[in-house]
Amino acid sequence: MSASVAAAPAARAFRGIGRDRWGLLGLVIVTIFFLLAAGVWLGWLGQDWARAVGGRWEPAGTEHWFGTNLLGQDIFQRAVYSARTAFEIGLVVALATTVLGAAFGALAGWRAFSWVDDVALWVKGVLDSVPFYLFVAALAYAMQGRAFAMHIAMILTFWTPTARLLRAEVMRLKAQDFVKSAQAIGLPAWRIVLRHVLPNTVHILLVQGTLVFVAAIKTEVILSFLGLGVQDGVSWGLMLAESTQEVIAGHFGNFLAASGFLFTFLLGLNLLSDALQDALDPTMTRRRGRMIKAPA
Amino acid sequence: MFYFLRKIGNSLLLIIGVTLLSFVLMVWFGPDRTFGLLGKNPSQEQIEQVRRQLGYDRPFAERYLDYLGALATLELGYSDSSGEAVRAVLARTIPVTLALVLPGFLLGNLLAIVLAMLAAWHRGRALDRVITGLSVAGMSLSFLVIIIGLQALLCTPYGVNLFPVRGWQVDGFGSYFYYAFVPTLSLVIVSLGYNTRFYRAVFVEEAQREHIRTARAFGASPLTIMTRHVLANSMAPLITRVLFSIPLVIVSGSLLIETYFGIPGVGRTTFEAITNGDQPVLKAVVALTAVSFVVVQLLADFLYRLFDPRIEQAVADGGGAAV
Amino acid sequence: MNAALAVRNLTVRFPGDPGVLAVDGVSLDIARGEVVGLVGESGCGKTATANAIMRLLEPSCITADSIRLGERELIALDERQFRRLRGRDISMVFQEPLTSLDPVLTVGSQVRAVIVRHGLARGKAAREAAADALRRMGLSDIHHLMGRYPHQLSGGMRQRIVIAMAMACSPAVLIADEPTTALDVTTQAQVLDELLRLGRDNGTAILLITHDLGVAARICGRIIVMREGKFVESAPTEQLFARPAHPYTVELIRAVPRVDQKPAEAPPPAGDSLLRLEGRRVSHPLRVAGKRRRLVAVKDVSLEIRRGEILGLVGESGCGKSTLAQSLVGLKPADGGSMYFDGRQVTGGQAAAWSRVRRQVQLVFQDPRASLSPRRSVGQSLIEPLDHFGIDTRTGRQARVAQALHRVGLEAALAFRYPHELSGGQRQRVALARALISEPDLIVADEPLSSLDVSVQARIIRLLLELRREMGFAVLLVSHDLAVIRQLADRVAVMYLGRIVESAPADALFENPAHPYTRALLSAVPGRAAGKPGGPLAGSEPPSLLTPPPGCVFHTRCPEAMNRCSRIDPPEFRVDHAVEPLSAHRVHCLLHENTH
Repeated sequence: MSASVAAAPAARAFRGIGRDRWGLLGLVIVTIFFLLAAGVWLGWLGQDWARAVGGRWEPAGTEHWFGTNLLGQDIFQRAVYSARTAFEIGLVVALATTVLGAAFGALAGWRAFSWVDDVALWVKGVLDSVPFYLFVAALAYAMQGRAFAMHIAMILTFWTPTARLLRAEVMRLKAQDFVKSAQAIGLPAWRIVLRHVLPNTVHILLVQGTLVFVAAIKTEVILSFLGLGVQDGVSWGLMLAESTQEVIAGHFGNFLAASGFLFTFLLGLNLLSDALQDALDPTMTRRRGRMIKAPA
Repeated sequence: MFYFLRKIGNSLLLIIGVTLLSFVLMVWFGPDRTFGLLGKNPSQEQIEQVRRQLGYDRPFAERYLDYLGALATLELGYSDSSGEAVRAVLARTIPVTLALVLPGFLLGNLLAIVLAMLAAWHRGRALDRVITGLSVAGMSLSFLVIIIGLQALLCTPYGVNLFPVRGWQVDGFGSYFYYAFVPTLSLVIVSLGYNTRFYRAVFVEEAQREHIRTARAFGASPLTIMTRHVLANSMAPLITRVLFSIPLVIVSGSLLIETYFGIPGVGRTTFEAITNGDQPVLKAVVALTAVSFVVVQLLADFLYRLFDPRIEQAVADGGGAAV
Repeated sequence: MNAALAVRNLTVRFPGDPGVLAVDGVSLDIARGEVVGLVGESGCGKTATANAIMRLLEPSCITADSIRLGERELIALDERQFRRLRGRDISMVFQEPLTSLDPVLTVGSQVRAVIVRHGLARGKAAREAAADALRRMGLSDIHHLMGRYPHQLSGGMRQRIVIAMAMACSPAVLIADEPTTALDVTTQAQVLDELLRLGRDNGTAILLITHDLGVAARICGRIIVMREGKFVESAPTEQLFARPAHPYTVELIRAVPRVDQKPAEAPPPAGDSLLRLEGRRVSHPLRVAGKRRRLVAVKDVSLEIRRGEILGLVGESGCGKSTLAQSLVGLKPADGGSMYFDGRQVTGGQAAAWSRVRRQVQLVFQDPRASLSPRRSVGQSLIEPLDHFGIDTRTGRQARVAQALHRVGLEAALAFRYPHELSGGQRQRVALARALISEPDLIVADEPLSSLDVSVQARIIRLLLELRREMGFAVLLVSHDLAVIRQLADRVAVMYLGRIVESAPADALFENPAHPYTRALLSAVPGRAAGKPGGPLAGSEPPSLLTPPPGCVFHTRCPEAMNRCSRIDPPEFRVDHAVEPLSAHRVHCLLHENTH
């Protein structure tokens, strides 16, 4: 009787993805990148990203798979190291926004139409209206250029869609009979939310989490390009920034490496996100008598 | 009547919230320009004088209210970096941004709707899979990658070299087309993936509703079903999506494109203001975004009621903010 | 041999890993003007049969030797040709009136669309034809009606409109899939009678699909019984009930609770008063068209439940019975009157009194799918009340969970399963087990049987009676289904528009109904003896709770209303001369003013 609450969705998730070829591909890709990132973090891979190992702009070859950049650094090593940067940003932002979004969303949804809800909606509206780049810049300045400005800015602006979805779902769940049953025996609201309501929103949180992961990485790319993002270390965004001038001059190494890695990783994440959504949606039970909509 | 008052009240609160937040950001986290305006070894007097000039010595509340007052009367001041009147800056740059961004935005959405209807109509079959697959691929492309890639392909000798790498000298439709083509194309490509996915999901869900089954049972053709029933009933999420992405696209979206292609619009001006710490310009842009967000919300509410007769009888009025 | 519809060897197979054989080689004939009922429990394939005939499924799922509509062979037609037939020569009506009509189009435009599409008329003539179709259905105030949107109308109205649409082109065959299941009993009776009349007037053959034998009996000349994809019996209605041939039919007939059938055993004697309501009022605020109003869902309700007795609370949807039930445990706050539990008054502020109520009064809801948390196992859901009320030790609780499951006829191993792995009947048993596990004094059951199949219902009814005998708890049974109430309740109270209009011991109420509304309800119940068409409430709509009629709330629909009824809200009168107050037969109706 100690079956964990999260067991049901996780098990369904894996079973569902197993059946879905594309989802499997997504999972494989994400796992590979995870291993790359872990490898970098553990010091096994990509350690040579900063060292000048060759001449300037050497073309792709057996020694340097994507060639070297302006400073003679191995592009491939840099791309691999960037996987770690990407993962770190994605994970931190995704986890934080999930927690923040779940908390705010549940609060607003449970107390829907009350002043608590109104305040929460107002906060969300305000945050949505502030131009994102301004926000990032201001924070970056405030934190004196410390690395986490970008993360915090992203967290503070990306949590709103999650909160909105959670709010809607909590409102829906609150009207269900099992919540009424819990209320009827006198369980306090916080316990009902934690024990009954939130576990039934895990599918939304997981899918949103992956979407935020994707958004975080994409945003980092643009921020780094604008000079507002990653300051030390290397990321695909920085590599792309370097490549803007190089491409016009005919050197495609940086561009191909960065965009290739980026595209593959994002594709994997998107495929995984789709598969999760299909596998976890509790309303998509295997309906037998479903009428197929398409005409003959 | 009461309903409209509530709406306007909410809008005002929102504007206050946004401007307050931005003001806080700029005042407390913006650069202190005192020393930039002084020469070497300034005396204490000179420092005090400059600070008074810049208004740094006054209490926060006063400065904020001044700000609001100025906004309301469109007294936007002068740019710190160029000295130009901010109002003139906006008047000059907003039309450029609109001319640049609007066609791509509209085209992107229209195309997405058409593709999404095709995909939903042929749900589960070849065409749907292709469209969905391309959408996922589109979603996985970074905006930057698209821009750089298109530039390489269309603007350099390594590709077709038909269009300029950057610039904006528009004096007629021909030159407009010449300068706007690549940016517009990149805008369309970047949004197409996400939009198609979203609209497809909306259409698929709508197509599963009971009244669609009724329409079929009464002999409606697939085309009629898709347009008259599915599309008409999907207007709410469609409107939400299209309208609410407008402020985003105009300020944030244009920022990257204009900076990259060297186009003198609001986005690039904003970016330069950020890097130069040009406060008057920033304050104006923030206010602009807040106001456009509010306008969009009101417009959306109005359109919802127009398209869905059920909204008229909304019982137990909720918070007002569209989800 | 000129059947309106003739089907030979129809099979429907849904694709999938194992795939599902929904319909297994069925054949039927319906003659012109005949009304045939297709009856079966959920999942038996009756809807799939209908959808297959209308070709609303993926064609690859459907195989048949022949499907003839009059002279025409349907399986030879391609999609485009078939589409021309839909709505013109063969029509279908579905169950959910709420969602069957397009919400953004007016009623008039939808009816017109069908007429125009099938080339019957154009432009102004089409509008006239549409109005005509609605008129034939017995609707009034047509031009106003045509400009309205579906959400502005009641369920009964919407269903009538859909039927009018289906009959607009005078089809040869009409298939009605559970057309009245989502409607109130009284509305159901009306719509069925109207359907019958329309069919007769137009010579349309009707195939009525339903899970309710009583509904089929009301208007069908012949009934086909279906089970697991096959037709097991087909016979004229009278013959089917008098001499059922197939054992499944026998089982089905026996499982259907009858209103005219007294329960087998007499109830055990009741104890002293457990719960008493006096003048209870429950209302909540509502904002309609920008103005703040108060909706009184329950007004001035007084009732009493004794230990060990089952009190049935009957009424149609919207009468306030669910609100009343929920107010007993504080889920909906009351704002008038008083409640006494076990002798002591329970008022708003007193936490101690309320916690006693919550401990001794447990709820069972209607929809077993939604009453158990999807992400918690059965065992976790069962143990929660024990944990919360602090009953027994940790090991003791595990034992109680097993015991609770046994008590409702389930295996202890089910504790590890999740709700979505159980059937509807099993889930409802679990809900019952959870209500009983803390050994409460009173169970409040809000439509506990409505979403279950007939045979499952019968078993749960038996279970409930057994458990009551064993454990001695009282039950407030809320339901719109009079037949179920007949089988279970010792005493009955009838609710209309938030007020109790009649209350009496079950026998007295069913054999001698005093209030006109009760009489209307009883005559509308689909029973073996088909009710007379055009019952007392024919053609009237229930008033809105926001604007209740003055005086007696029922007078606007009452066939026996007098002038005084619109001015005076009738107080309580006695119908009998019984000495004991709790066995009294009481009614709120001016007709009974002088009879005590």
